[in-house]
Amino acid sequence: MKVKGKPDKDHFRSMICNIPGVFLAMLLILFTVNVFAETSPAEQKKEKGGFDAGKVIIDHILDAYDWHIADYGDTHISIPLPVILFYEGKWYFFFSHKFHHGKDAYKGFRIAGDGHKKGRIIKVLDDGITPDPNASFILDLSITKNAFSIFISASLLCWLLISVARTYTHCGPKRAPRGLSAFIEPLILFVRDDLARSAIPEDKVDRFLPYLLSLFFFIFFNNLLGLVPFFPGGANVTGSISVTLTLSLFTFMTLHLFANKEYWKHIFNTPGVPVWLKFPIPLMPVIELVGVFVKPIVLTLRLFANITAGHMIILGFVSLIFVLGASGTIMGLAISPLSVIFVIFMNFLELLVAFIQAYVFTFFSAIFFGMAVPDEHH
Amino acid sequence: MELVTPGIGLIFWMTLSFGLVLFILRKFAWKPILSTIKEREAYIAGSIRDSKRIQRELAELDATKEKLLLQAREKADELIQQAKKDSEVVIQKAQQQAREDAAKIVEAAKKSIFAERKAAEREIRQQIVNLTVDMTRRVLRDEFSDIGKNNQYVEKLLEDIQLN
Repeated sequence: MKVKGKPDKDHFRSMICNIPGVFLAMLLILFTVNVFAETSPAEQKKEKGGFDAGKVIIDHILDAYDWHIADYGDTHISIPLPVILFYEGKWYFFFSHKFHHGKDAYKGFRIAGDGHKKGRIIKVLDDGITPDPNASFILDLSITKNAFSIFISASLLCWLLISVARTYTHCGPKRAPRGLSAFIEPLILFVRDDLARSAIPEDKVDRFLPYLLSLFFFIFFNNLLGLVPFFPGGANVTGSISVTLTLSLFTFMTLHLFANKEYWKHIFNTPGVPVWLKFPIPLMPVIELVGVFVKPIVLTLRLFANITAGHMIILGFVSLIFVLGASGTIMGLAISPLSVIFVIFMNFLELLVAFIQAYVFTFFSAIFFGMAVPDEHH
Repeated sequence: MELVTPGIGLIFWMTLSFGLVLFILRKFAWKPILSTIKEREAYIAGSIRDSKRIQRELAELDATKEKLLLQAREKADELIQQAKKDSEVVIQKAQQQAREDAAKIVEAAKKSIFAERKAAEREIRQQIVNLTVDMTRRVLRDEFSDIGKNNQYVEKLLEDIQLN
């Protein structure tokens, strides 16, 4: 369908619409080779004389103070990220390359190499190694790899969806979606019709819809970016418990912001339950109250565990090549095709999981919202 | 342990970013997109409703058209029939009139012919009388010039009368 009289403008617009689409498609295609891009654990090999698969996997999954891109011989290529600390009434700003990848201390701080604070910034004594036993709490607001990745993905997502929105306002309601909006619109309709409308009373859907849509696209987009092996992807954003916790806290807050009287009545005076379950020992209210807090915890853990597990399995298959390669080149060569096949298979599975987990998180949020705003008459 | 311990820094930045994402997308993406989709849905539903209504109306119109056509055809037939009848009457009348006129004309012609003849007859009679008188005069003049002969004739006439 063409708008009459302005084919040039139209063509130009469709080109603009397609740029993000092409970009997305490129990311989707390229992720399948992430295996090979991430397999450069030369560092570990050298240090320990062998290949420590567990360490490699954990290092890839965890957050970091710099963004490691590649190793070339002994040179680490990584993007230094800002470290922001608040310690004993003083702010500290510097870039993470001062730590020299965790080897050095800077201004009395260093990245803990072991102990229960492993990987976090700790205060050290003047020798630069021993942790300060009298150190008070360090407020660490550093822009870590995950935080930086969130900035990138959030900006990309906003740009993407706003450019889609612009085609909507330009083309008006009398034209079928095309280009990127033709890709996005089914997802929007999916969230609206199959998630929101199926869980929330019809007249209250609209107030939750923008939140649910943002939630769905944020998780889905970050899940996909997490599968892209190289910068700006590769950070394990949705596999980070801080991120999933924040997301579920948003759901929790939104839920209780909109919750009506019926919801609280349901918790403290559950209808249809015998009185002796509520008084004198408030068994039901306690159970319901626990349920209130269990919901966000379950959301947090489900997304975190699913995404982390997926990354771990993929990295495990890749590591297999190097573990066996360490015992003999032939073994490594023999196992690599099998590993690659499994990794490709897992990547496809992870694509599916990326969607399913975004769907599940959004759907459960919608169900909780539906519980929070039941119809007044019961 | 590190894996499942939330970090304050990341939570802080995540809250900030996600809050901003929520705000920006709500204002600049979802509002226009959702309203456009809603409008389009209303437009499509309206179009379907309209098309159904138009179809129904068309069917009704079709029926009406058929009916009207039928009526028109009947009316036309009727009119033609009537016209034929009328024309026959007119023709008959005209013929009658013509006949009457013709008769009148003939009558008049006859009368005038008769009158003409009468006049002609009278004239011819007049002419004959005149001629006779003339002839008689001439004969008489001639006869009376020879009295003797006349006398003879008269005598003969007299004789004839006596004989009678």
